[in-house]
Amino acid sequence: MSGIASARLSEERKAWRKEHPFGFIAKPGKNPDGTLNLFNWECAIPGKKDTIWEGGLYKVRMLFKDDFPSTPPKCKFEPPLFHPNVYPSGTVCLSLLDENKDWKPSISIKQLLIGIQDLLNNPNVEDPAQAEAYQIYCQNRSEYEKRVRREAQKFSADQVQKTMLG
Amino acid sequence: MAEYDDDDFNYSDSGSEVEMDDGMSEDDGIAMEAEDQNGMSEQKDSSLDCIIMTSEQLEKEMKETISEVGNILHVPLGTCRILLHKYKWNMESLMERFYEHPDTMAFLRAAHVVPKNAVTAPTSSTADCDICCNLAELSGLACNHRACTACWRRYLQTKITVDNTSEIECIMNGCELLIEDEKVMSYVVEEPVRASYKRLMINSYVETNRLLRWCPGVDCGRAAKVSHCEPRLVVCTCKSRFCFACGNEWHEPVNCRLLRLWLKKCSDDSETSNWINANTKECPKCLVTIEKDGGCNHMTCKNVACRAEFCWMCLGPWEPHGSSWYSCNRFDDSAAKTARDAQEVSRAALQRYLFYYNRYMGHQHSLRLENKLYATVKAKMEQMQQMAMSWIEVQFLRKAVDVLSECRRTLMYTYAFAYYLQKDNNSIIFEENQKDLEMETEKLSGFLEHELESENLVTLKQKVQDKYRYVEHRRGILLKHCQEGTERDQWRYAE
Repeated sequence: MSGIASARLSEERKAWRKEHPFGFIAKPGKNPDGTLNLFNWECAIPGKKDTIWEGGLYKVRMLFKDDFPSTPPKCKFEPPLFHPNVYPSGTVCLSLLDENKDWKPSISIKQLLIGIQDLLNNPNVEDPAQAEAYQIYCQNRSEYEKRVRREAQKFSADQVQKTMLG
Repeated sequence: MAEYDDDDFNYSDSGSEVEMDDGMSEDDGIAMEAEDQNGMSEQKDSSLDCIIMTSEQLEKEMKETISEVGNILHVPLGTCRILLHKYKWNMESLMERFYEHPDTMAFLRAAHVVPKNAVTAPTSSTADCDICCNLAELSGLACNHRACTACWRRYLQTKITVDNTSEIECIMNGCELLIEDEKVMSYVVEEPVRASYKRLMINSYVETNRLLRWCPGVDCGRAAKVSHCEPRLVVCTCKSRFCFACGNEWHEPVNCRLLRLWLKKCSDDSETSNWINANTKECPKCLVTIEKDGGCNHMTCKNVACRAEFCWMCLGPWEPHGSSWYSCNRFDDSAAKTARDAQEVSRAALQRYLFYYNRYMGHQHSLRLENKLYATVKAKMEQMQQMAMSWIEVQFLRKAVDVLSECRRTLMYTYAFAYYLQKDNNSIIFEENQKDLEMETEKLSGFLEHELESENLVTLKQKVQDKYRYVEHRRGILLKHCQEGTERDQWRYAE
């Protein structure tokens, strides 16, 4: 199984290096001995233009299991993000990332990251994952937008880019 | 496939064989059948238009339905099963929709059995698989989304064993085309997975079908088939007795809706209520519930807005207790009496519930214990046969235990029924019936438990037979009264 996972992940890496959507970052992490760890990716998702998330770049860790692509990777915002569908631990709650729901082995890392970017500005109120953001989103939309804008400032693209690529 | 086909020929036999194994109880003799028809009207109905089916029979029937529809609509059989699943195995409604729709292809596209967005067929069958990135022989469905055989197999296996679904979409992200069974079976080779898929198909056939219901019996695996979906008694080959409409144990006289409320209430409240009732009292002033955690009877309510001081024993104000005119041991103290009265009112609802709950549970418990009687009775029957009674002459004992179980079960559910019943003339008649049945059932139980040994055989038989015929008759009357009330819409429920 692991053979398929590594083959597929190194193809994903090739495909990403060849071409990827503007502003996104995705790269395999490193093992303690300096070699690449294909099962642990450091990624970053930019807030969409003309949304309250614009200007921020949000770090996401993607953890793959040996039976990938039969099962989806676990995607985790680091640090955890203020968003109705992000668990307090940072883990993203999205049907695309659930093997019992919409996950299919043909979904690529690029599609996942775009899917999560889309979730940022389109929270799913049916499936809340953290109480704070969910309640503020439902009860006080202007306060919610203020909080998100503050989040975008905190994780401003320039700074995050520097720490990740620098 | 092959092993099922062999079985197809002898279902009818295998069904009756099971019954024979259980000790030949079903041909009790002519005398019994005459009795059955008096008291137990529901049993007569249930055998008329209800069939118990094994999974092989279900599979056979499912295939027949599929090929019948396939012949009429001229669509492939694999597509047919998916369409029938979508229309809950209601042939008429599927065909109606099929012919009503102006554009057959659009209809099939909407049902996800014909691709919406097929890509052009590639020229070479060998290419890089999108999933595992190996160069391999690729294949796929009508939409031309392709993957290698190993990846298809893994994908289908996950969907079948983890997702537990028999309706599986194409492997490609965003393509909703559903895969036909033949295709699934051509990719999946492992026998346990193939068997799971077959089970899932039959499960979808039973669960979506309004006229079928799985028997809730442990490891039974049979389903009941009826001609109308309504609350009714089903007796399975495995001896489970259940309600077709809700799948719970047969629960006459209470209806499915109230039974659901009752079971929920029991699982939510009972333990808590019992505890509250046993361990707490309410403050006589503010009615907050108080648990006593020390030995002193001088209570001070912890509710900051109340702070009442009272005596735990008599619930009267504390002041008199501390002074010389102490009167807690005198029962008719007026202040304490009003407090106790108030307390009684607030506890009444809880008491009422516990009253019905305890009786309901009591009969359930007895029912379970009385299952042991079958063993006792069997020994007794053998002993009697050695003492010059024929086999047929001793069957009354077994029958008596059957009747006893029936009565217990009915009594159990009469308490759920009674809990929701509002008091009126009809409910009084019902309670009289219930009282009589309960009293006589206890007597029958007493006979079977204590008097088997002490009696002379002839008088024992006389007594037991008289008793079980009487309770069976009374049970019939109680149920009939409840049924009539339902038909005439006489029962007033309080929820």
